[in-house]
Amino acid sequence: MAGLQYTLNRMVLMIPTFLLVMIIIFLLVRLLPGDPAIAIAGDKASDADIAAIRDRLGLTAPLWTQFWLFLTNTLQGDLGRSILMRAPVLDVILARLPTTIFLAVYAVSLSILIAGPLAFLAAVNRGKWQDNLIRAVFQVGLSMPVFYIGLVLLTFLAAQLRLFPVGGYGETFVDRLYHLFLPAVTVALYTSAILMRNLRAAIIEVLDAEYVQFARAKGLPSRLILGRHVLKNALISTITLLGLSIGQLMSGTLVTETVFAVPGVGRLMLEAIFARDYPLIQGLTLTFAVLVSLVFLMTDLFQSWLDPRMRLS
Amino acid sequence: MKAAALAIGLAMSTALGAYTIGTADAVERGGTLNFARYDGSKLVDPIYADRNPDIWMVGSLFSTLLEPNADGTDLVGSLAESYEVSAGGKTISLVLREGAKFSDGSPVTGEDVVFSLERARNPDLGPWAGLLSAISSVAADGRNITITLENPDPALLSMLATFNTAIVSKKAFDAAPGATDQEKSAALFAKGGPGVGSGPFFLSGFEQGTSMTFSANPHYWKQGEDGKPLPYLDKVEFQIIPDDATRVLKLTAGEVDVAEFIPFSRVAELDADPAINMNLYPSTRIIYSPINTRETRADGSPNPLADKRVRQAINYATNKDALIGLVLQGAGKPMSSPVMSSSTRLAVDMSPLYGYDMDKAKALIAEAGLEPGTEITLTTLAGSADDGTIFAALQQMWAPLGITLVAEQVDGATRGAKNRSGEFDIHTYGWVDDVADPSQVTGWLGYYPTRKAVGTGWNNADFNVLYEASSSEMDPEKRADQYRQMQEIYAEAAPLLFMYETPFAVAVSGKVSGYLQTPLGNNVFENVSLGQ
Repeated sequence: MAGLQYTLNRMVLMIPTFLLVMIIIFLLVRLLPGDPAIAIAGDKASDADIAAIRDRLGLTAPLWTQFWLFLTNTLQGDLGRSILMRAPVLDVILARLPTTIFLAVYAVSLSILIAGPLAFLAAVNRGKWQDNLIRAVFQVGLSMPVFYIGLVLLTFLAAQLRLFPVGGYGETFVDRLYHLFLPAVTVALYTSAILMRNLRAAIIEVLDAEYVQFARAKGLPSRLILGRHVLKNALISTITLLGLSIGQLMSGTLVTETVFAVPGVGRLMLEAIFARDYPLIQGLTLTFAVLVSLVFLMTDLFQSWLDPRMRLS
Repeated sequence: MKAAALAIGLAMSTALGAYTIGTADAVERGGTLNFARYDGSKLVDPIYADRNPDIWMVGSLFSTLLEPNADGTDLVGSLAESYEVSAGGKTISLVLREGAKFSDGSPVTGEDVVFSLERARNPDLGPWAGLLSAISSVAADGRNITITLENPDPALLSMLATFNTAIVSKKAFDAAPGATDQEKSAALFAKGGPGVGSGPFFLSGFEQGTSMTFSANPHYWKQGEDGKPLPYLDKVEFQIIPDDATRVLKLTAGEVDVAEFIPFSRVAELDADPAINMNLYPSTRIIYSPINTRETRADGSPNPLADKRVRQAINYATNKDALIGLVLQGAGKPMSSPVMSSSTRLAVDMSPLYGYDMDKAKALIAEAGLEPGTEITLTTLAGSADDGTIFAALQQMWAPLGITLVAEQVDGATRGAKNRSGEFDIHTYGWVDDVADPSQVTGWLGYYPTRKAVGTGWNNADFNVLYEASSSEMDPEKRADQYRQMQEIYAEAAPLLFMYETPFAVAVSGKVSGYLQTPLGNNVFENVSLGQ
C-alpha cells in the first residue's frame, strides 16, 4: 500500500515538472538569437516573404498568446507542424524516437554488462594489479570526448577492419544490434566508466559493513554474501547514478547520432536548432523531458524496492 | 606551390575523368548507386524546392522543356523538341517531344505543361514565381505550347531550363490527397512513392532525414550509348550522413559509391587513393564578404567602411591566393568577376581583381585618413573551421593597414538576420547560382531594390538603371555590354571583399562512370553506370 502511495506521489510530482519544462522550453527557444522566419525563407527571400512567414507562424502575436496556444495545443496532443520537415511534429518525432530509444537501451545494457562485473572484480581485488588496470583503462574512457572515441572506433573497427558498418540503422532486430553496436559502445564506454567507479566504491564500502562481516562470521558462502547482501546494497547509489547517466546519455545522442549517421531524435534536434524550427525544438525538448522524467521515476521506484526505507520517508 | 600543383593535378584528373566517361566502350546496365549526402531533401517539388538539397535533385525526377547543351553555352530542347522566339521577343512557341511519357506510362501533354507553368508563376505558391513575372499567359494546342509575355525577357528561355519550370503530372496532382496545392505536394512526396516523374527517375522511397530512393523511369525519352533508353542504373539510394568524416569513411569502406561535399583538407588524401576518383567539378559557387557601406553603423557610430577607399584598401591587402591555400588547400581560384563566378554567363574576366598590393592598400588608407587601431568586426559562422581560418588570416593581412580586426561568432540564422538589419561591418557569405542566367546573382549582389545589394546598403543609381535595362534587353550584344558596365561599376565601388570561387568536391568510387555535378549544383545521374 505504501508502495502504491509512493508511486502515485511521484507521478503527481511530475505534473508541475512538465509545466515548468514547458515554460522554460517556450522561453528558451524564443531567446535564441536569429529569426526563424529568415531561417525558413532563406537568405534570398524578400522582406515581404519574411513578414508573411512571421504572420503565418503566429510570431507576430503577443508572447503570452503564443504560450497559451502552445500549452493548450500540447495538452491536446498537438505539437504543431514542423517548419523544416513540413509535417506534424508528433509524426516526425514518433518516426525517429524508436531509433534513439533502441540506442539508449542498448548503450545502457552494454554499460551495465561492462561496469558490473569489472566493478566487482576491482572491488574484491582492491589495491591489486587487476584493480589498478581496470581503473586506469576506464580513466582513459572518461577523459576522451565521446565524438573522438566514436571516430577512433569507426576508423579502426569499421573502415579498416570492416568488422562493423560505418553507419546506419539496419532493418531487422539483429541487424540493428549489429549496426548500432559501435555507437552503443561509444556511449557505453563513457557511461560504464562512471558506473564502474561508483559501483566499485560502493561495493568496497558495503564489504566493510558490519552486516557483511557478520554474514561472513556466520559462515555464509561468498556467492550468497555478494549476491544477497553486497550487490543489493551497493546498487542503491549506483541506480541513482545510472538514472542521471541516462539523462546525460540522451543529450549525448546529439553527437553520437551525427557521427554514426543514426537517424534518431538527437540528430533531428541538431537539424531543428540550426533551422530555428520552433515547433520541432519545443516538441523534441518536451519529449526528452518526458523520457528523462520517466527514467527518474523508474529509478526512484527501483530504489524504493531495493531500500524500503525510502517509501516511508 | 604544392597547393597550386595539387589544384592543377586535380583539374587534370577531372578532365581526364570526363574524357574516360565520354569514351567508354561498353556501358553496363543495372545496379544501384549508393550516394552519401551531407543533408537530406525535404520536398523535391519544382516550385517548392527552396534549399539546395531539394533544388539539386529536381532534375532527376522532373525534366524541363529546355536544357543547357553539353558545354553550357546554349539551350537545346528537352521535353520540348523545338522552340522559337517571335521577332519582338513577346511570344515563345514550343513543340512538345512526340512520345514523351511520365514514369507511369501516361503521355506528357500540353495540359501538363500549362498546369506546371501556371503553378510555377503563381506568386501565392512557391518562392520562385518572380523569375517568371514576365509571362502573361501559357496556352496549349495539342503538342504546341505558346507562352505570351507582357514584356520581352532575355532570361526567360534560361528559366525554361531551370528546375522551377520542370514538368509535373497534372493527373498525379489531381489525384493526390489534400485541399491545397501545398498539401497535395507534401502528400505526394511524404508517401515516398511511387511518384510520377518526367525525368530519368521517379521517387520510389523516402524516409525523412534518413534515406531516399530514385528508381529508373522506364519511359524516359533519352537514349543511352547502347541505343536503349536512359538511365543505365536501376536505382539511386541516398543516405543522409551530415558528418564529413563519416561520409568519407563510408566511401573508403566501400559502403557507398559517391560521397559529396568532401572537406578540402581531405581532397589530396582521397585523390591518392587508386580506388577513388576525386572530382572537383567547376561550380558557380563564390565565397565573398559583404561590407556594410552605410554612413553610420547600426549603433549610430561612424562607419569607416563607408569610405570607398577603405573598402578598396582591404581588398588590395587581402592575399587571395594565400587564403585559397589556407582554406581550400589550393583547390580554388580568386574571383575574377566582382558579381558572379567565372562560369556564369556574361562574366567579365577582370583578373587580377584587386590583386595583392600592400603598397597601394596603404596609400589608399592614408588618403582616406583612417585612424590607426580602427576596430572592424568580422562576423563569422560559429563552428566553421573555414571562417576561423579566414578570420585569422585577414587579421594578420590587415594589421599593416592599422586595422584591428575582431571576430564575432554567430550561427547561420543570426548571420542572416544581421545581414538584413545591417548590424554588421563585414561578414562571411557564399552563393551558388540557381538559374543559368547572370540576372539572379547580379540582382542579389548589386541591385539595391532586391535586397539592399546583399545587405551592404550600397545603392548606385547607374548600376540600378543598367540592371533594369538589362532585364528587358533582347539584343545579346547590348545586354552583354550592360553587364560589362555593371561589373566595372561594382568592382570600383567594392561593396564586397572579393574572395574566391570553389569547386564541388565529390569523391566517386572507381567503379562509377558518368556522374556529374553541374556548375549550378544539380546532381546528374542519368548517364551513371556501374562497372565491376
